[in-house]
Amino acid sequence: MDDGSLGALQRLVVTAVTRGVPVGDDVGLAADADRLVTPSHRGMSPAARLDVYREQFWLRHVPSLEEDFPTLSWAVGGPSRFRDLAVDYLSTCPPRTWDLQRLGEGLPAHVDARAPWNGDRLASDAARIDWAFMEAFDAADVPPFDPRVLSAAPEDAWPLATIVIHPSVRAMAFAHPVHELRQALKDGSDPRLPAAARTNVVVWRDATCHLRSRAIEADALALLTALAEGAPLGQACDAVARASGAGDASELAPRVSSWFRSWTEDGWVCAVRFPPHY
Amino acid sequence: MGYREQHEVPDLGVGVGLRRPHVAQVLSGAPGAVDWMEIISENYLAEGGIQRVHLEAVRQKYRVVPHGVSLSIGGADAIDKAYLARLSDLVRRLDAPWFSDHLCWTGIGGIDVHDLLPMPYTERTLAHVVERVKRVQGEVRVPLALENASTYLEFRESEIPEHEFIAEVAERADCGILLDVNNVFVSAYNHGFDANAYIDAIPPDRVLQIHLAGHEDKGSYLLDTHSDHVRADVWDLYRRALRRCGSVSTLIEWDQSIPAWSVLVAEAHKARAVRTSTLATCIPGESAWTTGP
Repeated sequence: MDDGSLGALQRLVVTAVTRGVPVGDDVGLAADADRLVTPSHRGMSPAARLDVYREQFWLRHVPSLEEDFPTLSWAVGGPSRFRDLAVDYLSTCPPRTWDLQRLGEGLPAHVDARAPWNGDRLASDAARIDWAFMEAFDAADVPPFDPRVLSAAPEDAWPLATIVIHPSVRAMAFAHPVHELRQALKDGSDPRLPAAARTNVVVWRDATCHLRSRAIEADALALLTALAEGAPLGQACDAVARASGAGDASELAPRVSSWFRSWTEDGWVCAVRFPPHY
Repeated sequence: MGYREQHEVPDLGVGVGLRRPHVAQVLSGAPGAVDWMEIISENYLAEGGIQRVHLEAVRQKYRVVPHGVSLSIGGADAIDKAYLARLSDLVRRLDAPWFSDHLCWTGIGGIDVHDLLPMPYTERTLAHVVERVKRVQGEVRVPLALENASTYLEFRESEIPEHEFIAEVAERADCGILLDVNNVFVSAYNHGFDANAYIDAIPPDRVLQIHLAGHEDKGSYLLDTHSDHVRADVWDLYRRALRRCGSVSTLIEWDQSIPAWSVLVAEAHKARAVRTSTLATCIPGESAWTTGP
């Protein structure tokens, strides 16, 4: 069956269902409803019948976003103001996936782009950390790291090694310690407005499937980011050493060893791959 | 040979829909609180995470059947191949005897409103749904049970009663039916048709599963909220469906105001008692409970 009349009918229903105001408030849409939908034998108009679905659209999606973005909800001033944001977001970016877990995928960018939320660094940070937790929640599973590959590799192979980071790991820089704010909200305490302070945070899902977050050093964030993008270890270390003013990568080596040990213990590293000739 | 026998569709007894607040209790308790479990497919399609771990653990204790809400079998958009691939993988992982979704559509133009939107029931939409059901079953390779959804509006262009439409889809596409008795009651109230006549018109051997749930009275319409106990009128309809269909897997859905696990289990036990007493009074051959009408 081509799109034809079924597609036209479905487009009209979706237009009505995703509106922020009752169908009857729009004369044109109400007329379309009259043309397509029968009144009910219990006295409901076609517009009122469509409104049953419209009301459910908002009742379903706004609480879903609020559950997914607790830090953002707090940062914008609480549930009532978060609802304004959620309605604006869903009106601008209606859901484009069957997966309700991904409903808020565009919300961090929306917060950064739309008044009155754009320019609010705390709201921006809160949106990003909440979304990082959502992504970590159901990121792909991978086999745990096998340390035996390390003992087999000669020392000169390390600069060419690529470090595979677990799919759940999200490493980000924030202008506020929003990971602490999120944890305080989860613990049920009444947090105070956090002072601005550059904070580098990793969010991940641990081996027991619990979601966790931890602050890390700026150089560690830079290295982790470069490795996650696929840079070989030597190249990534050189870039981080240059950017941090450490001179050459050898000065960074002790810290890299310490970070690597901690990353493998936390499950952030899931594989180390050496070039084939090693 | 009837459809259920032909496809070796088992009677799983009486089960409940597995919801997040009950997972810990289900995992820590002994198996057998209910006969089987149904999951919302979409909650278990991710490539990793705790949901997959939980599902594997639940599967060690109960037979699990996936019930979807996003297939959009009546949609004008193309079927989402990536979604279908994940669904097929889930069905295989569960070794499910069937899978189910609704006779509805969920969006258009890439927008998904996450609701079970009603179809216009016409010859054209019938052919459209039949073709899509065939394609989906070809991909997933176990029977699809198509559920009658609760609906709150009817389209002027509809020319076929819903019960005839769903029966015809099942016959032409050779698929099963998930008969939601509460949905029949809700839609009958909302649209003014006879719920008993609806039940009587469904081809009994195509019914692979029955759903029971509670609903809310909103004054001018009933809303299928899955937020309460099954109403008395719906239990009566269930008895009628059992007399026609025989021993068919039955499931209690409860999605809002989710009660304690013990309350849900008690509702399942009530369904089991109703099922046992109703089937005990059926005389095979007099009803249509072993073969089609």
